[in-house]
Amino acid sequence: MRRTLVLSILGLVVFSLFGAIAMAEENVPISFWHAMSSRHQPNLQKLVDDFMAEYPYITVELVYQGGYGDLQQKINAAVVAGNVPTIAQAYENWVTPIVEILYPIGPHMTDEEKADIIDGLVPSNTYNGVFYTVPFNKSIMVFYYRKDLVPTPPATWEEYLQMVADLTADTDGDGTIDQFGTGFRPAANPEQFLNFLEEAGGSILNENWTEVTINNEAGIAAMEYAASLAPYSLITSAYMSDAFQANQVCMFIDTSAGYYYNNKAAETAGFEMGVVRVPMGPVNQKSMIQGTNLAVFDMNQTQAQKDAAVLLARFLLRAENTVYWAEKGGYQPVTKSAYETEEWENWVATHEYQQAMSAQMLDGFAQILHPNYGDMRDIIATSFEEAMMGEATPKEALDSAADEIETLLE
Amino acid sequence: MVEEWVAAQPRRFPLPEEWRKVSFWKETASAYLYLLPALVILGAFVFYPFFSAFRLSTFKWSVIRPPGTFVGGGNYHYIFHDKYFWRALWHTFYYVGVNVPVTLFLALLVANLLNKSLRFLTFTRTSYFLAYITPLVAVSMVWRWLYNWQYGLLNYFLGFFGVSLINWLGDKRFALPAVIILSIWRFVGYEAIILLAGLQGIDKMYYEAARIDGASGFQVWRKVTVPLLTPQIFFVFIISLIGSFKVFTEIYVLFGGTSGPLRSAETLVYYIMRQGFFGTSHLGRAAAASVVLFGIIFIFTLFQLQITQKRVHYQ
Repeated sequence: MRRTLVLSILGLVVFSLFGAIAMAEENVPISFWHAMSSRHQPNLQKLVDDFMAEYPYITVELVYQGGYGDLQQKINAAVVAGNVPTIAQAYENWVTPIVEILYPIGPHMTDEEKADIIDGLVPSNTYNGVFYTVPFNKSIMVFYYRKDLVPTPPATWEEYLQMVADLTADTDGDGTIDQFGTGFRPAANPEQFLNFLEEAGGSILNENWTEVTINNEAGIAAMEYAASLAPYSLITSAYMSDAFQANQVCMFIDTSAGYYYNNKAAETAGFEMGVVRVPMGPVNQKSMIQGTNLAVFDMNQTQAQKDAAVLLARFLLRAENTVYWAEKGGYQPVTKSAYETEEWENWVATHEYQQAMSAQMLDGFAQILHPNYGDMRDIIATSFEEAMMGEATPKEALDSAADEIETLLE
Repeated sequence: MVEEWVAAQPRRFPLPEEWRKVSFWKETASAYLYLLPALVILGAFVFYPFFSAFRLSTFKWSVIRPPGTFVGGGNYHYIFHDKYFWRALWHTFYYVGVNVPVTLFLALLVANLLNKSLRFLTFTRTSYFLAYITPLVAVSMVWRWLYNWQYGLLNYFLGFFGVSLINWLGDKRFALPAVIILSIWRFVGYEAIILLAGLQGIDKMYYEAARIDGASGFQVWRKVTVPLLTPQIFFVFIISLIGSFKVFTEIYVLFGGTSGPLRSAETLVYYIMRQGFFGTSHLGRAAAASVVLFGIIFIFTLFQLQITQKRVHYQ
């Protein structure tokens, strides 16, 4: 009797011990570092909860690391310390220096999943033909305007220039312009120029990155066009929504992620805001896609953790999830199939501003994956600013930028 | 045991007498034991980073294989051939050269005024100090609106004197002066309070003696107040000089994450941040620029210590 009791207790202890170990082995904890502010966090948490419901053996710990700049620095510090997260949001130029410690997601995706990613986002996530990262929170450059002052928004560069010239005025007659047709943030947002560059058929580098092409004919045409807008432009480093709210600008090119703030500014100022595609350039009407991708790290992670992170990345790419994320957070879906879902079609039908954003996304372009892109962006920002402020002619500004970019190719 | 060992040593050099005592070594050991916590903390957070910055400045940084490849003076060569480095250096000297003396002068003035009428001392002291204790980012955000070209209060007031709208934050000529004005506003109160404490500490008998000798008000100020205030003046001077060389936050916030139109308010620390942390990770170049900044501050500090020894009068 006593022996049976002891044995059974012993057996129970041993069993539960093994059980605990087995369970501990099964449970895969992964950490997900992000820079999503409080407005986005409930949405991200909901997606992650759904993911954990589907894969109960995976526990995702969401870690908010502050703004994008903070996140980048923390990732860099974590790489040096050998203590990286399993998965993190990352801009293209953050991952180029650390690509060899990334765990490529592409080989674990189905062909359908790979083919589903929006064309414009493929090059900016691909190294040597493999998807190292996958797109996550994406926004696109669109055109914002005041409906009261701009009854029909400009469709082409010529119309844009004409309209801003007409709208720029000294409304209170004090001798200084207080209403600008448009506005630019050259130092803070050189993507405004990159958009013109693409629409003029130009590029920073040639296709195989052996030559600088930013100051070729197309590049100069883009910068000359930007400079022709300069007299009618408010040049600032602050967000455009500030100037919009203060009735200082009538229309401008800005990212779709700014919709929330620009619209709030319009509401406060008491006018209606419209959103359309960026005006058509001499060659095309393409627009720049910005925002981060998801990267899985291959450094001090178990295979199970890496597999779990890949599952999460693929889960977030699913049409219903990228649509949910877009609707709730003001981002744009990143897969083609998402745009064909009934949910998204309804959403676009009921949200007028989304039409332009959706249309621009499907033929958008993203930054190049050159390891020195961060430096190039800095150089381009300076030359854009010089041209816009009349410090240099468009050609001079681009020539000196080209010389500097040249040194980055060596 | 120690005594025997010491006694056994051949006496080629005359050793200090106390070295022969065990108690001396015990005391020394316990002294170092007490110093240990401070040494560990300073070592980990001050000396180690300090020396690794020197080391880092000779490497081309790599995140994957830190610290990267050794390039010797390569980073120095880069920054010394970068026009933006020289501009940043010039902006820094401009900022320091105007900010430090003007703030000190105004602080002296304010301290003297406060010393004259002590009636609302607590209130005035607090209000002057408020500018200093308010977080810099918040202060800079407020000033961003004060400086607003069309709606800012500053231009509104200047309008009364017939000054046309100044684009403080958008014109490269005014960007750095705008930063300087903010800094002066922020530090005048702080410096004035320190100087005021010094003024109140000056013994009345010097003034009585001067008055008996028939000195005029200005003479008293020039020959009694200023010499006896030199410790405080030099303290404030050194602190504000070192602080001014390191100016960064105001610029970053005022110009919305840029260094002003055409980088016209880019100081050395901003340059360091740009190289090392904003989008690009050239930590080697950033470290090289930091070493240069260290050198500059070091030379100035040595210079000041020299002057301090000669010119500062302690009561």
